[in-house]
Amino acid sequence: MNQFVLEAKHRTLLLTGVGIGVLCLVLTFLGDDELHTRFWSNYLHNTVFFLGIAFMAVFVQSAFITAWAGWYTSFKRVWEAASTFLVPALILMIPIIAGLWGHFHHLYHWADAESVANDPVLQGKSSFLNTSWYTFGTLIIVGTWIFFGYKLRSLSLQEDKMAQTADFKIHKQVRIWAAAFLPIAGFSSAAVIWQWVMSVDAHWYSTLFAWYTAVSWFVSLMALTILCLIFMKGKGYFESVTDEHMHDLGKYLFAFSIFWTYLWFSQFMLIWYANVGEETVYFQTRMEQYPVLFYGNLLLNFITPFFVLMRNDTKRKYGTLAFVSITVLIGHWWDFFQMIKPGVLHTAHEVMAHGHGAEGGHHAAGFLMGFTIPGLLEIGTFIGFLSGFILYFFSQLAKEPLHPTNDPYIEESLHHHV
Amino acid sequence: MSAPVSSIREPLINGGKTYHQITEDICSPTEKTPSTAWVIAFIIAVAGLAFYVFCVAWTVWVGIGSWDLNRTIGWGWDITNFVWWVGIGHAGTLISAILLLFRQKWRTGVNRAAEAMTIFAVMCAGQFPLIHMGRLWLGFFIFPYPNTRGPLWVNFNSPLLWDVFAISTYFTVSLLFWYTGLVPDFATVRDRAKGVRRKIYNFLSFGWTGSAKHWQRWESLSLVLAGLATPLVLSVHTIVSFDFATSVIPGWHTTIFPPYFVAGAIFSGFAMVQTLMLMTRKVLKLEEYITLAHIESMNKVILATGTIVGVAYLTELFIAWYSGYIYEQYAFYNRVLGPYWWSYVGMMSCNVLSPQLFWSRKIRRSIWWTFLMSIFVNIGMWFERFVIIATTLARDYLPSSWSYYTPTWVEIGLFVGTLGLFFTLYLIFSRVAPTVAAAEIKSILKTSGDQYTGPNAEKHSHAEAH
Amino acid sequence: MNKENTEVLFGLYDDETDLLKAVKVAKDDHLDIMDVFTPFPVHGLDPLLGLSESRLHIAGFIYGAIGTLTAFLFMTWVFTRDWPIIFGGKPYFSAPAFIPITFELTVLFAAVGMVVTFYIICGLGPGVVNPSLDDRITDDKFCIAFDTSNADESVVEKLKSFFSSTGASEVNTKTI
Repeated sequence: MNQFVLEAKHRTLLLTGVGIGVLCLVLTFLGDDELHTRFWSNYLHNTVFFLGIAFMAVFVQSAFITAWAGWYTSFKRVWEAASTFLVPALILMIPIIAGLWGHFHHLYHWADAESVANDPVLQGKSSFLNTSWYTFGTLIIVGTWIFFGYKLRSLSLQEDKMAQTADFKIHKQVRIWAAAFLPIAGFSSAAVIWQWVMSVDAHWYSTLFAWYTAVSWFVSLMALTILCLIFMKGKGYFESVTDEHMHDLGKYLFAFSIFWTYLWFSQFMLIWYANVGEETVYFQTRMEQYPVLFYGNLLLNFITPFFVLMRNDTKRKYGTLAFVSITVLIGHWWDFFQMIKPGVLHTAHEVMAHGHGAEGGHHAAGFLMGFTIPGLLEIGTFIGFLSGFILYFFSQLAKEPLHPTNDPYIEESLHHHV
Repeated sequence: MSAPVSSIREPLINGGKTYHQITEDICSPTEKTPSTAWVIAFIIAVAGLAFYVFCVAWTVWVGIGSWDLNRTIGWGWDITNFVWWVGIGHAGTLISAILLLFRQKWRTGVNRAAEAMTIFAVMCAGQFPLIHMGRLWLGFFIFPYPNTRGPLWVNFNSPLLWDVFAISTYFTVSLLFWYTGLVPDFATVRDRAKGVRRKIYNFLSFGWTGSAKHWQRWESLSLVLAGLATPLVLSVHTIVSFDFATSVIPGWHTTIFPPYFVAGAIFSGFAMVQTLMLMTRKVLKLEEYITLAHIESMNKVILATGTIVGVAYLTELFIAWYSGYIYEQYAFYNRVLGPYWWSYVGMMSCNVLSPQLFWSRKIRRSIWWTFLMSIFVNIGMWFERFVIIATTLARDYLPSSWSYYTPTWVEIGLFVGTLGLFFTLYLIFSRVAPTVAAAEIKSILKTSGDQYTGPNAEKHSHAEAH
Repeated sequence: MNKENTEVLFGLYDDETDLLKAVKVAKDDHLDIMDVFTPFPVHGLDPLLGLSESRLHIAGFIYGAIGTLTAFLFMTWVFTRDWPIIFGGKPYFSAPAFIPITFELTVLFAAVGMVVTFYIICGLGPGVVNPSLDDRITDDKFCIAFDTSNADESVVEKLKSFFSSTGASEVNTKTI
């Protein structure tokens, strides 16, 4: 089956998922504090998480094309389709941008004029951390990603429709676009990660943060790819994707989970070791007040994939592979949760404390549903975004044939053997 | 049984080789008398080595005062050279381990020599922490055994001790990996030799027979060693970066150091591989095994890692400003515009700007450009370590102790001397062992030989592959 | 292979595809192959010969685990029991600072253990002299060997016809 068709019952299921997400967001909004901290932080968290996965789909294609990888060709349409989610993701960013201009949310400490006025550190950063940079940075950078994603996808589709030429004209064009995207992605992803995520803790800084976050997206994309392929193979699509391909994807999931842990450890250990107050506060807060998030992060994203996927056969069994993929996908969503929530809560307390003095800087005490651990509303919101992502992704996948007939590497991929 | 290969791929073995020709081309350099070029190079290298021994003796005899280090700048050329050599020692294991896992077939042409280079570079690197102790005969203090010198044990919490473990593990594992790869090739040399040479090579080949079961275990061992060496190679330069980053010195304490040091190490390692391979392929006439395709691939790695390093430099600069921490801001101001501005310029132009020339395919495939650029990158990466070490130390928290440092002839001599050590070992290696992994080249012949793949491949080869 | 005075009948092939075909034929005819020698690892040969997958990696895992425990427990013992000292205001038991050395020793134990195991189970090592059937096996010949020490004439004839029918370029006997 070369043409994917989304069955009506699956469409209904995914639409129900989106409905649950919307409902949960509405419920969160209604039951929230005066600044709607929980609602906005959930919204930012999920938007950034899924936007990043779509970005990684462009990045992975570029990296693989540049490295002359052939094995993934038989399922490359999956990544091409996933990259198109950048468009709805950019639209989802608009309420956050609008909120910065209209001050409906208080996600970012640097966006609060009163706080900045009394804070030399925030003033020092204000030529980068400001509404205009955030707006135009987001639009231009995500716009660039959309353009490159579109370019790679359309060239790949065009290659199929044309007769194969001996000089691989289109593939050579693809190589140029892919290579050009790599440095662009390297610089631009760091810039937006600082803006979207790191600046939630507006005083804190870490040079490794952008790479760490990017790898979190990368692993999530691999997990989602595996789950999608397992599902579609179950429906009879992608017959050419064999255990060998799944084994390799499993290796990527395994290796990059370890790489993520390496970056996590490097960042944590250096800050812990040097113990500079400005930096240590970030982990101090998380270890003391958000222990479930802090230790859960390692359990989900390192211990589980490491011990399950260490064996060769677990990378070839769909059951174990799906189990790890689901764990790791939730795990990296959890990772973004712990990156965003403590900072947003801190900012909310600071903003609410204006005029109250002593209350400023107050953190979560005990368990606070939706902040120190994800509550049911967060899970519902996650289901909503995930369903939306998959629905959009499937509808894009259904538009084009699944099998890239004319890719120069397709024969290699069809005969891929580990 | 071999899998089909896309005709878009360039062949990696030119000249329509047969298995026997491969053996002939790769093993024969070990069987001939050395060429004049080799003899001259060897004499120069040994002279360098002799000078190295002299400089070490001088340092030990006169004392560490023969260097220009001072209370402010306690680490100078010594640690710069250490980090530089360790960095170079990363490419071999990267090529043989990470590229093996990523199935980049072009690695087979260069992995043997690159691994040898790794081992020799790590040997050079290991010299510096020892010499820099000043009292070389107390070097055993670093070993973890109970002693009566006070704290009873070495400090396991110190990054400097982590270095001892990291470098020695790395050296051991690289050596085992390299030697296990060499064993079948030594057997090939043995089976072509007679008399005493045959006995020597039989000893070196451990009695290798080529039995199917042995090959199966050998492949399994290689894969697991590659899997182990991959995180190991990352860990080594990570731990070297911890020497700096665990401190509270602005300009040293930054979280991006671990991956950025690793990227820089791969970058400089590939540059040194290029320098050596361009000479080796010419002298030993291995142009058909180390082709322009190999050179181009390595240049792409250089471009990629050079750009990663560039992203890291700019990230550091940006975050230094962003941090709002005045000492951090000053450290970077000083790095760019302070008394050592020239080394920053050297680093930026050699490491970030000049590799951008490799966007041009023509330059990537030009032998002369590649050679020139590889030298540039080697210089640039040396500057990078000098910038990090000396520039940062020269301006610490206390302006009254600010200082400036220039090396003495002894320090320069030690550096030049290790080059002598390195080239002596490499030249000996190129005489006694096959410099290209013959067995591995044979195993990719059917998928990468120019009679089977690429634009000039004979027809029907595809059908046969099924 | 370590037996004294084994009479070996062996055929040499010029290409690994011929070798693979011949091994397949030998298996179908239930010929008892003593060993196959090749100049490089030939893919697809192991399943044809019925070689079970190497368990070397399991040994590696065990060595590695021993390394992990040795390093971590040793440092913990030194710094919490044997001679506790505070370094840089950190607690005695500073797990993050133990990780680098723990990692290095894990890799060291696993790698050294596996390499030593490999040479021991293969019977290879410095000074080992294994009889060679033909010097070209490490060059460009692919060899199938049969043990014919106790074989009668008819079996030898059968093996010889097997070699000629599968395209062996040379057939020889050697006592090792």
